[in-house]
Amino acid sequence: MIRGVRRWGLVAPAVAIVGMFVVAPLSLMAYVSTLDRGPQGMVAWDRHSLDAYVQFLFERDLTGRLALNTDYLRIFGRSIMLAAITTVVTLLIGFPTALWMAFQPLRRRTFLVFIVTVPFWTNLLVRNFAWILLLRDGGVIDASLRKLGITSAPMEVLYTPFATGIGLTYSFLPYMILPIYVSLEKLDRRLLEAAFDLGADRWRTLWRVILPLSMPGIIGGAILVFVPGLGAFISPELLGGAKSMMIGSLIQEQFGQSRNWPFGAALAFVLLALVLTGLWLHALRFRRERRLP
Amino acid sequence: MVMRLISYARQLLDYANIEPITTVRGYFAAKALADVGQGKIHCRTITCRIPVVPEAVPPWSPAEEHKAPRKTGGPGLDAVDCRELVKTFDGGAVRAVDGVSIAIRSNEFFTLLGPSGCGKTTMLRMIAGFEIQDSGSIFVHGQKLDGLPPYRRPVNTVFQSYAVFPHLTVEENVAFGLEMRRRPRAEIAAKVEEMTALVKLAGLEKRKPAQLSGGQQQRVALARALANEPRVLLLDEPLAALDLKLRTEMQLELKRLQAEIGITFVFVTHDQHEAMTMSDRVAVMRAGKVLQIGTPAEIYDRPTNRFVADFIGETNLLSATRIGPTRCRLDCGIELDVVERGVAGDKVTLAVRPERATLVTQGAQGLPGSVEQVVYVGADTSYHVVLRGGVRFRVREQNSDGSIARVERGASIRVVIPPASVRVLAE
Repeated sequence: MIRGVRRWGLVAPAVAIVGMFVVAPLSLMAYVSTLDRGPQGMVAWDRHSLDAYVQFLFERDLTGRLALNTDYLRIFGRSIMLAAITTVVTLLIGFPTALWMAFQPLRRRTFLVFIVTVPFWTNLLVRNFAWILLLRDGGVIDASLRKLGITSAPMEVLYTPFATGIGLTYSFLPYMILPIYVSLEKLDRRLLEAAFDLGADRWRTLWRVILPLSMPGIIGGAILVFVPGLGAFISPELLGGAKSMMIGSLIQEQFGQSRNWPFGAALAFVLLALVLTGLWLHALRFRRERRLP
Repeated sequence: MVMRLISYARQLLDYANIEPITTVRGYFAAKALADVGQGKIHCRTITCRIPVVPEAVPPWSPAEEHKAPRKTGGPGLDAVDCRELVKTFDGGAVRAVDGVSIAIRSNEFFTLLGPSGCGKTTMLRMIAGFEIQDSGSIFVHGQKLDGLPPYRRPVNTVFQSYAVFPHLTVEENVAFGLEMRRRPRAEIAAKVEEMTALVKLAGLEKRKPAQLSGGQQQRVALARALANEPRVLLLDEPLAALDLKLRTEMQLELKRLQAEIGITFVFVTHDQHEAMTMSDRVAVMRAGKVLQIGTPAEIYDRPTNRFVADFIGETNLLSATRIGPTRCRLDCGIELDVVERGVAGDKVTLAVRPERATLVTQGAQGLPGSVEQVVYVGADTSYHVVLRGGVRFRVREQNSDGSIARVERGASIRVVIPPASVRVLAE
């Protein structure tokens, strides 16, 4: 009895924190997504409807009939695409970087980890503004290219999905490097010697030993980049412009200018469902692999 | 299965009328012949797979000892030939290996023995190619290895930490080396089956290393290295992490494998018992130098210097001066006859194994002293004696008659040291 009380007493703070910061806001948003929008924006707390979810796929035409509207789906598709590309590009840059870092002498390794985390010390917004200065026509890169005679016309990169991609890759690169670095750093160097000893050259040691053993880091990094990349807000908002809107901006717009809280909440939940389904499928596959003797 | 292969090989040889049959030694040779019989491999391959029969190691005789170093097979005939190897670390501050030359014969179980930091592991790593020597050369069966990366060397290593790939199953681990050399799939499968059977891991092929005990992981490491049919297998303290019982078991197992497969083993250990039980020859190393190379019996019975005498087994080391060609006077004044001749006036160290001296309680023979301590260790009893003049001396007697202690502590006794049991070492 006393043990039960003590156990609950010890767990209570954790439960309270999770309840307050995870369950409560999510429940509130879930509830909001099932309400009607209020006349002055916000929500009508007493009128329930699933219009918000219907609106995601359909719009009412002038006669009041529902017609398929793929605008929002396309925004979701673009977001998934950009997040996926970002994941691949950060992996392509991050893996060699982490590999190189992991094989440096200890003191330099510590310094390099510090260098990778330096961007965290300044605001993401500021860093994305810096990219505007770099990418815009007549900006640092454009001006240099033209001065060197490599291009003659403005490069017109800013406010395109490409610029968003650059911004996202830049923003999320450390989240890819660090987990991979951690898994590579604890890799037993003697396994590499064993691979060499058995006749594997550097390239095949990489493919057959290093890569499989750093898979947990790669998967961790991919999740850390893809999931936040999907809902990224700052880079697409600042660098992407109106034509390449991503989910983050769309949701922000619903809570802002459009004053359609239920729709914003519904969009957020569709995104959440998407991510959770993905993670669940991954976990399922992973568990099946592990169950094999 | 191996026995069957060898007998099959013998039949083949009989058939081909090749004499003498006994020159075919070793597992791979037998296997190769069997393969030829079944038309699996081309005949030319055989000739290079049959290992050279090692010259018979002549028994030790005192007259030979001071001759020039024992003749080796000459360049190309030794399995491993290290010449004047030097390796320094920290920009020359640490001389890990300091001018070592060793010739290891074909099919020999050769052990590098020494305390930690003596350079034995560095030697092995230089042969494997993980360390590059500062100067000197390494030949394996006549092939110069200098400048070759580890993956191009005809040797394989069994690591102290096993270094079994944790993401691969037992059979994938064993197949790794063969896959790296792009062997056909059928050959790999056959080899994996053969190797897992050889190291007694059959039935565990699908397991991951995490599901195996330390001893089993060590067997995987062994099978993985042997699958490549190296001409020389390097073993870096492979048994150090195993518990005593398993270690003893694996020692015999390794010895069996080496005899069965008939390849050269270069074994590194700091454990003298391990070195003594398994080796054909032992090189005792200290501070980057080889102090003595010889069979276990030679090393034990005829050490050439104080360190070897002291490091291998238990020894009484007595400082003395020669007063005649076969007579020495200990620093405490006691005089002792020896067999080994020398020049009077030389300062020498006398090494006497505790089990080669005996205690007597009566008579005028031997050196007088008293028993300070009696240590009973089951199979034998160790007597710590203080000789007249204060020199400490240990005598060990086997408890073969079941009695516990023949002499009580504090008793006055005499220690009899037969002249032939005294090894005279230069100071």
